Formats: sequence, structure tokens, C-alpha cells
Amino acid sequence: MKIGVKYCGGCNPEYRREEVEEVLRKHFKISYSEDVDILILINGCRKACLAEEVEHPNILVVGSPMSEEEIVRKVEDAMKELGKAKP
Amino acid sequence: MMNGKEYIESLRKYKPTVYFMGKKIESVADSPILAPHVNAAAMTYELAHDPKYEDVMTAKSHLTGEKINRFTHIHQSTEDLVKKVRMMRLLGRKTGSCFQRCVGLDALCALYITTYDIDQKYGTDYHERFKEYLIYVQKNDLMAAGAMTDVKGDRSLRPHQQADPDMYVRVVERREDGIVVRGAKAHITGAVNSHEIIALPTRAMGEKDKDYAVAFAVPVDAEGVVMFFGRQTNDMRRLDGDIDCGNAKYGTVGGEALIVFNDVFVPWERVFMCGEYDFASELVETFATYHRQNYGGCKVGVADVLIGASAAIAEYNGVEKASHIVDKLTEMVHLAETCWCCSLACSYEGFKTPSGAYMPNLLLANVTKLNITRFPYEWSRLAQDIVGGIVATTPSELDYKNPETRELIEKYLKGKADVPTEHRIRMIRLIENLSIGAELPESMHGAGSPAAQKIMIARRANLDLKKEEAKRVAGILPDEDYQRVRGEEKKE
Ligand SMILES: Cc1cc2nc3c(=O)[nH]c(=O)nc-3n(C[C@H](O)[C@H](O)[C@H](O)COP(=O)(O)OP(=O)(O)OC[C@H]3O[C@@H](n4cnc5c(N)ncnc54)[C@H](O)[C@@H]3O)c2cc1C
Repeated sequence: MKIGVKYCGGCNPEYRREEVEEVLRKHFKISYSEDVDILILINGCRKACLAEEVEHPNILVVGSPMSEEEIVRKVEDAMKELGKAKP
Repeated sequence: MMNGKEYIESLRKYKPTVYFMGKKIESVADSPILAPHVNAAAMTYELAHDPKYEDVMTAKSHLTGEKINRFTHIHQSTEDLVKKVRMMRLLGRKTGSCFQRCVGLDALCALYITTYDIDQKYGTDYHERFKEYLIYVQKNDLMAAGAMTDVKGDRSLRPHQQADPDMYVRVVERREDGIVVRGAKAHITGAVNSHEIIALPTRAMGEKDKDYAVAFAVPVDAEGVVMFFGRQTNDMRRLDGDIDCGNAKYGTVGGEALIVFNDVFVPWERVFMCGEYDFASELVETFATYHRQNYGGCKVGVADVLIGASAAIAEYNGVEKASHIVDKLTEMVHLAETCWCCSLACSYEGFKTPSGAYMPNLLLANVTKLNITRFPYEWSRLAQDIVGGIVATTPSELDYKNPETRELIEKYLKGKADVPTEHRIRMIRLIENLSIGAELPESMHGAGSPAAQKIMIARRANLDLKKEEAKRVAGILPDEDYQRVRGEEKKE
């Protein structure tokens, strides 16, 4: 299953967005592409500009700091959901 | 949706217990003391029917799909948040006063979000209950007073530590059909001319404050609710005529009241928090954020009127071309528009909450309100400078209207020859109303005193990230983008 990451513009982030990517790389194979099964939008704040702009069938939105477990659980849940949906 | 006239008529159906100057007010709709505040609130209804204003004054209910007054709408987008502050500025400009209805709106929005979150954690049904209540408010186009501020007794003590346990509103009895509440809420805007009172806790609570973690709604005339309408400087001028009031039609600030809940019964369907003390701070913060968002709208609308009055009086006095006057008027505009920028910014930077409702950016909403605790003092100071000492010494309307003395006042209060003396007096009185009375302490304390905003700003200041940026710029931490630009190797 392909997992992509897209960053918001990072004008005034409320936390280090790179930490989310670091966690993702530790547990999954990811790329900077939207042509993926699950697209993770890393927003610097709760405004979450990307969530308003990006169109993709399977999006995960991050807009505030999250623990490693939370990030991993969310991605795994999304993968399971998608696995179920796919024949 | 009601129009202004229908709103005033609707008040006759309610029989709230209201005291003022040692007497009971028999009819809110007919009291000359309350009239300016009733008129200002009526504008929130009237403009919703005017094609010139309906775009900001109305919205589509996300629950019923019906067209509703925006003062009962739960924001469904950042555009809704922006329209809210546009509505605030419009009404501030139209009334030159407080139109009161925003507090209830903010209470509705805060409860929508927090009841959802409480239910997620505890499996309660507050949110569904609240939605039913919201539909009732929307369908009947009701005005709700937002009653958060408790009387608080000794400010250094928590609710349960107070010598008198009633210093914060609390639950004194839980029954099968509802709860009984006791306590009092202070400074509640538009309370006497509202249809409903929505009460919320005023601070974060601990487990021992459980009984104080209560949110509910009651009609203004519920049994046991007693209100004391607050005095304002110069309030009795209303009985003498219209000139000396400065803004006889719409008054100044919101007409606040002390609301006492003397063992008031609240049925369960109107209880939206009862004992969930761990959600008190979320509810307070959410409400405060919505409420602080407003102030760069409403106060700037009122400032538009004050700036206009200052420019007009400068003309009446023949000083409008003096360079320092032009500079002072420009400074007033700059201050006001800075506050407007803040309200717009916190709205555009708003976000979607798990409940689906949108709320403004918390940091920026607090910055908005902190500016309002300062800038109106400065623009009022400038207005007082421009108008002259006459703002504090103008003879009374009664002397002006007295045939024996009118001629003398006509002659000696004259400004420029082609400006009627009465116009000059009216403009002076308007500036007095806007820059000397309750308007300024309202800017200071309404939606919380400055220290409350400073706490919120400090909490969201994110100094660690700022320090990181400083270290990178100073060359203490690596700067990968810079290294790429210069073709330098990445330092390990
Ligand atoms: C015109 C007007 C309209 C208002 N309308 C409404 C309304 O519609 N609904 C509503 O709920 N409220 C309303 N308010 C109330 C407003 O939110 C309060 O005035 C504000 O929160 C300050 O509370 P207070 O007036 O009790 O002042 P206090 O709490 O007595 O504050 C006085 C000073 O003491 C400081 N202080 C207080 N407690 C502490 C503490 N524990 N530690 C350190 N310092 C402390 C404050 O920072 C401040 O500097 C209105 C106020 C005004 C003036």
C-alpha cells in the first residue's frame, strides 16, 4: 500500500512538522506524492489549510502535535479500512 | 425571523423580575431607562430583513436548512466566522453602541462544541439535548444572554473554598426531572431584554468544584430569577430629553444586569453540563475565544462613529485643516483598522472542531481583545483632544431649551457661523457618550480582563520554536536550506 506525505506551506507552524515525517519514516515507507493509497496531510496548525485544498479519497489530517503511537495507530487504522474496502 | 418591532413586542410575553433604583420595572418593552438598549438589540432583528444587510445578518441553519438570523447560527466555515465579525462591525457602526446579542451567540457556539466533546468522553447525551434547544432558539429567533461571569467573592479562592458557597453558580439539588441552581452572574449584557439566559461556568474547575461545573438555559422570567439593572454614568439624562444623552436612541454599552438565581429549577433537557468539571476549562476557553474574536468588529464599528464625530466637530470648530488634527484623525483610523485586521485574521485562521463547528484561531482572538483593552483608550483620548474642553462643560439641554436662556447658549456655544449651535452641541454630547462613559471599562473587562488574554497568549506563544529559529539564524543550529543555496555540505 502506497503512503504519501504532503506538507502545508509552513507559514507559522505551532510545532515541528518534521517530527511527524520522522515517525512515519520510522514505521512505513513513504513518498512525497499524491498518487498514493493514503495521503497524510501535515499541517502546521489546526487551520489545516491542506484539508481545504487537497482532494484525495483517503486523507489523514495532522494539525497539531501527536504522539508516535497515535500517528502509527491512525495510519494502521486507515490501512486496515482500505484493505477491507479493496477486494 | 422577527423584525425589530416584532422583537420589542415579543418582550411583552415575558415577565422578568427586574429592579432599578429601588423599584421594580413593570414592562421591559416600555421602560424609558431600558429603551436605548432595547432599540440597539432590535437592530439585530431589523437589519436581517433589509436586503442591504441580509448577506451578513442571516445564514442557513445547518440543522433545519432554514434561513435564520446569524445571531443563532453555528459557524460552518471560516467564511461564517468572517461574516460574524462583519456583522459586528456593521451593527457597531449602525448603533454606536453595544447591540448585546453576540454573548448569547458565543454561548451557543461554545456549548455546541463542548457538549459534543463531553459526550465523546462520557457517553452522555448533552449534544443531542443541546441541538434540540438550538433548534428552538433558531425557530423562534430568540435572544439569549450569555451569563458566564460569576460574582466570585474572594478571587484568590476556588469556588468550593469560598466562605459563602454561593459565590459561583452551583447545583444545590439534583432531581429526577432536573436540577436546582443557586448563585449569581454579574455584568450580564442585555439580560433584562433577552428571552433566554444561558449560564456557563466562568473558570477551570477541579473535582471538588464538581457542583459548580454546570451549564444550562432558562427563560428570563423563570421562577427564582431576579435581576438588578446596573447604573451607568449619566443614565438619568434619558429622562430629561435626547440631546444630553449623546446617543439617545441606542445608549452606551449593553445595559448590564446582575442576575441572581434564587434556587431556580432547570429541567434536564435544558442542562448542558452537570458535574463534568474536566470540561469547564474547555467551555470557558471556547466561549472566550469566540467572544474575544468579536471586539475588533463591534468596537471598531463604534469607533467609526467616534472618528466621524471627531472629524465633524473639527469642522464645526474650524480646525479641520490643521495638520495635527488631520494627523490625529488618521491615527484614530489606524488604531481602529488595526483592531479590525485582528478580528478578520483570527476568523480567516479559524479551524474545524470535531463537532463540525468552526472556531477562530485562539492566539489571534486573544491578541484582538488585548488590543481592545488599550486602543479604545487611545482613540478616545484623541477624540477628547480634538473636541476641546467643552466635552466636559457643556450647559444642559434643559437650559438650552429654556426660552429664557436659549439665546445666550445659541450665541456663545456657536462654532463656525454656518453650523447650527444645536448640531455642535449634539456632536459634543455624542463624543462625551462614546469616550467618557461605560464604553472604556467595557473595552477593558468585557470578554475578560487583560490578564486573562495575556495568560492565553503566553500559553500559545510557542517560544521553543521561536528559539529554534533564532538559533538557526544565529548559526547555532544547522540551516539546511541555506546550505543548499550555498552548495555547502550538510554538517553532521
Ligand atoms: C460592560 C460589561 C459587559 C459585560 N458583559 C458580560 C456578559 O454579557 N456576560 C458575562 O458573562 N460577563 C460579562 N462581563 C464580565 C466580564 O467578563 C468581567 O468583567 C471580566 O471577566 C472581569 O471580571 P470582574 O469584572 O469580576 O473583575 P475581577 O475578576 O474582580 O478583576 C479585577 C482585577 O483583578 C484581577 N484578578 C481577578 N481574579 C484574579 C486572580 N484569581 N488572580 C490574579 N488576579 C485576578 C483581574 O485580572 C483584574 O485586573 C461584562 C463586563 C463589562 C464591564
